Amino acid sequence: MRSPLIPEMATQEVQLNETLAHLKTESETLKTKLEEERAKLHDVELHQVAEKVEALGQFVMKTRRTLKGHGNKVLCMDWCKDKRRIVSSSQDGKVIVWDAFTTNKEHAVTMPCTWVMACAYAPSGCAVACGGLDNKCSVYPLSLDKNENLAAKKKSVAMHTNYLSACSFTNSDMQILTSSGDGTCALWDVESGQLLQSFHGHAADVLCLDLAPSETGNTFVSGGCDKKANVWDMRSGQCIQSFETHESDINSVRYYPSGDAFASGSDDATCRLYDLRADREVAIYSKESIIFGVSSVDFSLSGRLLFGGYNDYTINVWDVLKGTRVSILFGHENRVSTLRVSPDGTAFCTGSWDHTLRIWA
Amino acid sequence: MSNNMAKIADARKTVEQLKLEVNIERMMISKAAAELMSYCESHAKEDPLLTPVPSSENPFREKKIFCVIL
Repeated sequence: MRSPLIPEMATQEVQLNETLAHLKTESETLKTKLEEERAKLHDVELHQVAEKVEALGQFVMKTRRTLKGHGNKVLCMDWCKDKRRIVSSSQDGKVIVWDAFTTNKEHAVTMPCTWVMACAYAPSGCAVACGGLDNKCSVYPLSLDKNENLAAKKKSVAMHTNYLSACSFTNSDMQILTSSGDGTCALWDVESGQLLQSFHGHAADVLCLDLAPSETGNTFVSGGCDKKANVWDMRSGQCIQSFETHESDINSVRYYPSGDAFASGSDDATCRLYDLRADREVAIYSKESIIFGVSSVDFSLSGRLLFGGYNDYTINVWDVLKGTRVSILFGHENRVSTLRVSPDGTAFCTGSWDHTLRIWA
Repeated sequence: MSNNMAKIADARKTVEQLKLEVNIERMMISKAAAELMSYCESHAKEDPLLTPVPSSENPFREKKIFCVIL
C-alpha cells in the first residue's frame, strides 16, 4: 500500500479507515440483533405442531411418460398453463416443446449457444423464453405452422453480463424476470427489451428464482452461490428479507402455494422451509444417507408434499409438515437437474443429465 | 483513497439493509406453523398427488393409449 506523501492525506486516510471500521462493527451488531429477534419467535418446531396431523399413507408414484429427443443433458423445463405442454432446454442448445400426454414433439428451436440453462412458458401458451451461456433471455413466439422457422421470429429481451440461470414470465406475456451468474436479477419489458428494475444484493451468482403466487403480491425469491435466499419487492427493487442458513449453493427456490413460505434445495444435500411471516427457517429436510446436492424442488398442490430432484439420480418426496421422507423414486440414469409439478397438480415432470424427461404420477 | 470511499458506501448500504431487516414485524412459529398446516388440510382433497383420484380422472395415469392422426 502506497503511503500518502502529504500529512493531510494521511489524516484523511486514517479517518476513512475509522469510519469503515465503525460501520463494520455496526453491521455485526445489527446481524446479532437480527438473530436475537428471530430467536424470540422460536417457541416451537413445525414438526411438533404437526404431530397431531394424520400421517401420510404409502405412495405409489411412477414414471408414466418418458420424453426422449434431447441429444445432451436436460437442464431446465417448464409447464404450459394448459397442463399438458412442456418446454425443455438442453446442453445441446435445443429447446423443445412437447405434448406430455402423447410425448410428441411440437416445436424445436436450436439456440446459437450451448448450455441453455433456463426456459419458461409464457402464460398465454403462445411463446417460450430461454437463455444460458449467451447471457441473454430470448422470447420465441410459437407458431401454429409446424414448418415455420421459429428462430426467425426470435426477440432478444434480457442482457446480462454473465450466464442466464433462470427466467420466468410474470402474470402476463409482457414481462420477464431473470437471474444471472452476474449476481443480479432483473425485470424486463418483453416488447421493448427495456430494463424495468434490477435487483442487487447477492454476493455471487444467482442460480434460481420463483415468483410469489399472484394473490400474495409483487414479490419474488432468489437463491444463489452466496448461500443466501433473498425475498425482493418487484416494484422498488428492495430486498425485503434475507435467509442464510444453507451451507452451500442454493440451486432451487419455490414458494409454498399460500405464498407464506418458500422451500429451497441446495448443494449441502438439504431442502429447507422458510416461513416469511416468522422470518426464519422452520424445517430442514435431510437424512444422513442423503449426501448429494438437491438441484430442484417443488410442492404438490396442497403444499403437503415437497419433491426434490437430487444429483444422485433420485427424487425424494418429503412430508412438509412432519419433516419425514415419504418416498424415494428411481428411474433416471443420471442427475435430476430440473423438477416441476404440473399446474393442476396431477403429475410432476423431471429433466435429467440422462437426456430424458419423465412424467411421474 | 477512492477505494475506501467505495467500501464505505457499500458498508453504509449493508447497515441500512440490516436495519430494515431487523425492524420487520414477525410472527411466532406456533402461529405461522398452524397457518401452514391449515392451508395443507383445507387443500388436501384437491391435491391429486396426495389424495389419488380415480385413474380415469388423471390423464397421466389413464391406461388409454393415445393415437396420433398423421
